[in-house]
Amino acid sequence: MSEATEIPREHELDTSWMDNMAEWGVTAKPGKRGLTLADVQIGSYADLPAISDNMTGRPRGSTPRAEAYRVGAYQVHTLSEIWLDNAEYLYEEALQRQWSSATDIPWHTLKPLPDDVEEAECLLCTFFNEVEFVAGDVPARWIARTTPDYLEARNVLSAQVMDEARHMDVFRKRALANGGGLMRMSGATSGFVGSIDLARDFTEMSTRLHISGEGAVLTMFRMGELFGQNDAEKTMYRLCAQDEARHVAFGVMHLRCLGDTAPERREEIECYLDEAEEQLIAGQQNPAGRQSESSEALAVLLGGGSQHYDEGHKKLLVIRRRQLKEYMKRVISAGFTDRFENGRSPIPAQYAATA
Amino acid sequence: MADKPSGKAASVDREAKLVDPTQGIPEPSYSWRGLTNEWGVKVLPGAHGLRLGDVNVGSYGEVPDYWADQTRRPRGSVGRPGIPPLPYSLRSKHELWADCAADLYEEAIQRRWIPATEVPWDSLEVLPVDIEKAVCQMCTELSQCANTELEIITYWQDRMSYGYFEVKQYLATATFDCARQQEVLRKRALSNGGGLGIESRGRVNRIILESSGGWTEAVVYLYLLRGTYITRLLSGLLSAAHNEAEVFIYSHMLEDHARHLTYGYDHLKYASSHGKDATLIMQTLLAVGEGHMAAELNEGVVSTAMAIIFGGGIEGARTHGMERYLLLVRDFITDYLAICQELGIEREKTLHPVFKRYLENE
Repeated sequence: MSEATEIPREHELDTSWMDNMAEWGVTAKPGKRGLTLADVQIGSYADLPAISDNMTGRPRGSTPRAEAYRVGAYQVHTLSEIWLDNAEYLYEEALQRQWSSATDIPWHTLKPLPDDVEEAECLLCTFFNEVEFVAGDVPARWIARTTPDYLEARNVLSAQVMDEARHMDVFRKRALANGGGLMRMSGATSGFVGSIDLARDFTEMSTRLHISGEGAVLTMFRMGELFGQNDAEKTMYRLCAQDEARHVAFGVMHLRCLGDTAPERREEIECYLDEAEEQLIAGQQNPAGRQSESSEALAVLLGGGSQHYDEGHKKLLVIRRRQLKEYMKRVISAGFTDRFENGRSPIPAQYAATA
Repeated sequence: MADKPSGKAASVDREAKLVDPTQGIPEPSYSWRGLTNEWGVKVLPGAHGLRLGDVNVGSYGEVPDYWADQTRRPRGSVGRPGIPPLPYSLRSKHELWADCAADLYEEAIQRRWIPATEVPWDSLEVLPVDIEKAVCQMCTELSQCANTELEIITYWQDRMSYGYFEVKQYLATATFDCARQQEVLRKRALSNGGGLGIESRGRVNRIILESSGGWTEAVVYLYLLRGTYITRLLSGLLSAAHNEAEVFIYSHMLEDHARHLTYGYDHLKYASSHGKDATLIMQTLLAVGEGHMAAELNEGVVSTAMAIIFGGGIEGARTHGMERYLLLVRDFITDYLAICQELGIEREKTLHPVFKRYLENE
């Protein structure tokens, strides 16, 4: 056996990149809530460009390369178009509050229900199975169109895509777990002009999706305790409400930010709100709305059966009233109070009429 | 005994009593009652809860080869005529399907993790500058890879028909995984006295993002070609981790990435056995893609950064660090060829010469 020592090959190294690191010497420290996205907004890494020139998909704050390919034709590259002040918190909250429809819903509490009640629940579940992933499909599309310089906002949208997949899934599971089945689709979210899907501007989409659409659904989910027939359904609506509240918060905070930083767009936003308000109670996208079949199903559930439809319908009117009230609160919080005071919005009158 | 109404319920009860009786209550039509394709379905939860795949029963579990419906009609529900279509362009099963999608969806949810609070950040200790730079450069590089994955998935996601919702739902978890990867890599780079590095030139990112002909074509580049390499990079980083925080980060990224590859390979398997000329198309794509991958492998940034990490510094990088990296690349190409063979894609005979050289490196 040879005793000669094997001399390893020596390789040339290209270390030129080591002289081109971005800002150096950064030490973000975890706080009470761990190491959050807010904690790493530090030094130049916190600098948010008002207009992003990042067309290569580089992480914000990294060193650009002159020869990098311009693969990111980002439509959303102006901060005001997508930004909100609390994105990092909403994202961290989303991570903390993930749940599993397979194991966190007490499915064993489902018990056979009278046919009319089971049908009503299944119609509602069909509606949600159909519409919940609008809020997954559409934000997903906007992630791909947004510069990674605004990663905090993009990450919130990524969490929303995840949440909506879970909502789509939990309602399908409920429809197929208690002796029922799926029923007739609503068609409420199809390709009509002025719909969430077809918006060609992020804020227009967000106004429709987050403020009016999900806002109305959030009010309803919060009432799940009233129309849920067992702990499984009540848990399902409560957990969905938790997620939905984050999505609505995104819309409110974004609108507030846009109103402050791009005042020239305020009138345009008012127009989106005009359109949204026409549909708020009348439209089919609101499961408690006047035109939707699901509102009949809701009245059955709220009454505890079709024999108590009238009582259920009265409770439905209360839900609609709350939808209007909460909608106004959100729009006021977003900084668009005037429309409720200058007669532009029909909502105060609708609200008064339901008193 | 009925539950006593809680505060919220009681207040709605009170308000309901105050509803103006002159408003009238419309007569319900109940036109929706009885409208179902299949009734009487009762799926019970199993040992792992009530999973997405469990509810694929009866007609609800029938996944057609072509989904003509361009609305959001849930699979198995009753349609409604006259609904304007949405631009769902992926309507054939072979364009996106993978049998494992429903299981991967549930697995992703069960294996969720939280960088802010679960990574033991307090285990980070100051590293020699050359090593910290190498780690930070890898964080920058991998973050850009995750960004590419995120952007290509979200580009295709809303083009996928509702009939194949399992895939859409699984990809929603992958979207979230990619966002989390970008987050955790950024946190690692900015928490130990370092910073981000230089961006990637983006050769392979480019071919992934420009594969707009179909989702399958994107999967070929994203998972079969680049994803297989990333698995080896993450395994290498895990084996050379400097502290518990890095062990946690790389091992959890590997778990996520393994799911992504499982979907990717499974989809390609389905596509290659059901799509016309699919394996020939994949072969052509890979012949082109290998060239770009080879050029990226030959660039010095990742190889040097990995060699420094493996070699424990620049000096070690020149010898055993780089040797270990070259073995990593050899292992990647070996894996890649094995998967191609499994999928029936011929690559060995016409393998890119640079790939061959890495394979021959002993």
